[in-house]
Amino acid sequence: MSNNAAIARRGGGCLCGAIRYETLGEPTSVGHCHCTLCRRASGAAFVTWAVFPAGAFAFTRGAPKIIRSSPKAERAFCAACGTPLWFRYTEGPADIDVTVATFDDPSELVPQYAIWTSSRVAWLDLDRHLPRYPDDGPDFSPYKG
Amino acid sequence: MAQTPISTFTGGCLCGKVRWRAEGEPFHVNHCHCEMCRRASGAPIVTWATFPSSKVDFDGPRVVRRSSQIASRSFCGECGSPLTWQGDASPAEIDLTAGTFDDPSSLMPRDHLWTDSRVAWLTISDDLPRYRTSRKGGLTEK
Repeated sequence: MSNNAAIARRGGGCLCGAIRYETLGEPTSVGHCHCTLCRRASGAAFVTWAVFPAGAFAFTRGAPKIIRSSPKAERAFCAACGTPLWFRYTEGPADIDVTVATFDDPSELVPQYAIWTSSRVAWLDLDRHLPRYPDDGPDFSPYKG
Repeated sequence: MAQTPISTFTGGCLCGKVRWRAEGEPFHVNHCHCEMCRRASGAPIVTWATFPSSKVDFDGPRVVRRSSQIASRSFCGECGSPLTWQGDASPAEIDLTAGTFDDPSSLMPRDHLWTDSRVAWLTISDDLPRYRTSRKGGLTEK
């Protein structure tokens, strides 16, 4: 029996299909972010992110536009349709946060916690069972300390 | 006789290059769970506020593209922020993404649409009506 067969391979991509990606293995964490930057970037009231080691993520079609979204972070999106694809810090662990909603099947990428709930839009009442953190919570941030 | 004050909402994209301004009250505010909104935003739900298109002004590098056979979406060409959805059947209306409002807390969402496409793990605790597809598609049980 091969262990390799058990390694999850998941595909995802943008709305227009110009960009496709693949992830290998399970994410190290999955969480909702209610921060104001994620809100602006997505147009939604919150964004759900799946964190992978950078080496477990690859584009399989197309290349995104990458912008410096804050002094120590970058975001990638499809230049043709706008879809937000990933977030990463420019310092710290080589992780990449992938927008869960762009996976072809997000059903197994189950959120474990919510961060920046201090910025949560009051009318959005969801996933009450999850731990809520007013700040970065358990996530790495180069802005901490 | 005093004039009724007209509400003005403002918003913009992440990088700040696109700014918009909407006058009056939105006709409707809804949460959309459809797969296209999910792909477009990267988020499980997109909340939309519908205004008369004549009452919304944009400034900046906004890109409008046809996103399906029945609608167009727009986003900021510099940073990607999803900004609008507009259906061909109702050009007099335009939907603005709630997340790009400077103050989204001022909105009052009224219902959930396309809950048949809802991401399975998402639990919603509000009491708003939930429509399986569009508002014509009937309500779903909670």
